[in-house]
Amino acid sequence: MKVLLFGLIAEKAGSDHMEIPATSTADLDRQLQDRIRGLKGLSYSIAIDRTIVHGDRALSGSEEIAVLPPFAGG
Amino acid sequence: MSEAKKHKVKDIFVEGAIDPTFVSESIAKHATRMDIGAHEIFLGQVRADAIEGRAVVAIEYTAYREMALERMTDIREEAFTRWPEMTCLHVHHSLGSIAAGQLCFMVFASAAHRKQAREAVAWVVDSVKEQLPIFGKEILSDNDHVWKRNA
Repeated sequence: MKVLLFGLIAEKAGSDHMEIPATSTADLDRQLQDRIRGLKGLSYSIAIDRTIVHGDRALSGSEEIAVLPPFAGG
Repeated sequence: MSEAKKHKVKDIFVEGAIDPTFVSESIAKHATRMDIGAHEIFLGQVRADAIEGRAVVAIEYTAYREMALERMTDIREEAFTRWPEMTCLHVHHSLGSIAAGQLCFMVFASAAHRKQAREAVAWVVDSVKEQLPIFGKEILSDNDHVWKRNA
């Protein structure tokens, strides 16, 4: 599935998106940490269909997934 | 304001800085609304913070637009529920590179009386900063950068 990356996370990844076949958010998190150097020490949230989720969630592959570093609006 | 109008998703993002002329024009547009007795306006300006001896010369804003606009729609709806005397609420946020000293954020509420407009603006400003996925890359005087994060 296509995973959208923003801000500092996009900078670390060198791209604003990644194709990651994940079955859950925990699985996604492991794959992201393998693929993006330095991600583990950063603070970030995962959004499913434009809502931030906490804890592990199953993914079907049809969701819109985004990895969000801390917000800085205003 | 009609229910339909409240639920409409509005695009709050503008490319580049918010021109002070836009602020005065926004005020002028309300001159025909005889039910308004108070406007409250918050303006955010890019501050030249010193970071390890280097000044912030600009902030480059990006956003997860679709999520930001969904959250903004929810914030708007809640604001109109909490402050029913508010007649209108206008929110604009910049994207792209905004130099220190320029305006990047405007929250403008109007109401019959000042209390509702004031409270609504303070709450909307805080809610936008906390909930909208907007990201800011602070460009420093030596061309290095750091990523801004709201406290």
